[in-house]
Amino acid sequence: MDDLKLLRDLGRELEHEPPASLAHQRGRLFAPSTRTRSARAGSRRTRNWTMLALAAGLTAAVVTVPTVLLSGSGTGRPGGPLVGAGVEAPTGPLNVLLVGSDTRAGNNRKYGRHMAGDGARSDTLVLVHLAADRRSAQAVSIPRDSMVRIPECRASDGRKFPAHIGMINSAYMNGGLACTRRTIETLTGVTVDYAMAIDFSGFKDMIDALGGVEITVPKAVDDPKAKLRVPAGRQVLDGEQALGYARARYGLGDGSDLMRIKRQQVLMRAIIKKAADLPADPVRLPAFLKAVQASVKTDDGLGLEEMVALARGLAGMKPSDTRFVTVPWTPYPQDPNRLVWKQPEADQLFKRIASDSK
Amino acid sequence: MVHPLTALPADPVRDADLIGESRTDPEAFAVLFDRYSSMLYRYVSRRLGPEVAEDLVGETFLIAFARRDRYDAAYHDARPWLFGIVTKLVSRHRRTEAARYRALLRSPADDVVDSPDDRVAAGVTARSTRPALARALAALPARDRDVLLLFAWGDLSYEEVARALDIPVGTVRSRLNRARKKVRAALGDTNPMHEEE
Repeated sequence: MDDLKLLRDLGRELEHEPPASLAHQRGRLFAPSTRTRSARAGSRRTRNWTMLALAAGLTAAVVTVPTVLLSGSGTGRPGGPLVGAGVEAPTGPLNVLLVGSDTRAGNNRKYGRHMAGDGARSDTLVLVHLAADRRSAQAVSIPRDSMVRIPECRASDGRKFPAHIGMINSAYMNGGLACTRRTIETLTGVTVDYAMAIDFSGFKDMIDALGGVEITVPKAVDDPKAKLRVPAGRQVLDGEQALGYARARYGLGDGSDLMRIKRQQVLMRAIIKKAADLPADPVRLPAFLKAVQASVKTDDGLGLEEMVALARGLAGMKPSDTRFVTVPWTPYPQDPNRLVWKQPEADQLFKRIASDSK
Repeated sequence: MVHPLTALPADPVRDADLIGESRTDPEAFAVLFDRYSSMLYRYVSRRLGPEVAEDLVGETFLIAFARRDRYDAAYHDARPWLFGIVTKLVSRHRRTEAARYRALLRSPADDVVDSPDDRVAAGVTARSTRPALARALAALPARDRDVLLLFAWGDLSYEEVARALDIPVGTVRSRLNRARKKVRAALGDTNPMHEEE
């Protein structure tokens, strides 16, 4: 029996393919500030931008979803929902926690090989606050590598994770949406009314269900790392391309994250614009609803009906009424690759949200 | 035999030259990243799983970049140097690594993915010996495991392992022998007569 051969076989079994996002690590080397003393802060900023931008896309999708569901009634008017008759529309201020997860299972496999036992990662965390008058919304991005106190949580298999200091995205890995929600509520003092998770492949499916989104690409893109290849000019991107466009860093513009944010904002507007036509489309609407149902998970039975009800109040809101901010942060003293929320600024931000939620 | 971790650069510029150039032109270091980040990611994903691998690889290159001035240009191949940094960073996650091997003791063999036909037979053997291997790996002293895995999974030679860990080749040899002896002993225990108890 060849021990080395068996060991190598085991190694191959345990191995994972590098995800497209590994390329982001390359950016840490060449953030403009790398050559100056604030190298770490620079890399941190880089990732915050990425997250903010992804969050923007995500928020657009989730704000769009109920809106589309609602106007899908065929009347195009609030109050005549396709489904959800009889469900009371939530009134007053609302806080919705969005978790962009990367399960790398099923359709996500090509973005990183899946092996059994992998926990899903929450790559994006956004707390969306809807004002009582439904005329404005604030989307607070929470960096995934925030070091925070995570309360005791129970995993789906019954194991208990004691309270500990850890990266905020480990809450989702250990205890799913419920644990993430509890962590956020404990940290911020904001009561989360709804929590929902959407995964990358779901985002892709929604765009495909929309029949793609129309975008003007200023320069041809060829980025094998983001699996993206598109020619320049005005064109329709399918879900795969749109996702690549939202995540890509290289081969586009000057490669900076500012550029990427701009791209993602363009994408977000394109999604909302496209979604506006959806209700009138008898073929695409069911496909879109199916994609939503398949990829949006909620922790407490916020189903389609409740989403429709939620949408009643959102119907009049424009994308420009949503403000995107990131939790103020500073590097974590023990590990410059992590961060902690900056106080008192972070507390003040959440206090404003909490007091507007009463 | 395929060695997925060995990615010999097709690019003719030597690693040592790139590192030298990067002192005045930092962008040259990016080539090194493109050459080896996937390879290092795979290695780390084996030992610690995918959750930490990405950050750890990024960190490895940040450290390497910061230390590029001290690189000894006599060594053309930068892999041992990078694997050395990776090994130090991996050692910070000892508990994650132990948990990963322990998980192999519990989990059934059904998470073996996409086994090509010609590998099925070998796969069966590998799967039946997996718990024993996992137990042996988890039980090894960290410095022996580092040597064994750099050799078996990192595909480094004795000399390269020595350079990665900054220890004499003789030490590599003795640690490797010791580690393999333990692994073989563990494998010897997989006699089916004793398995289900």
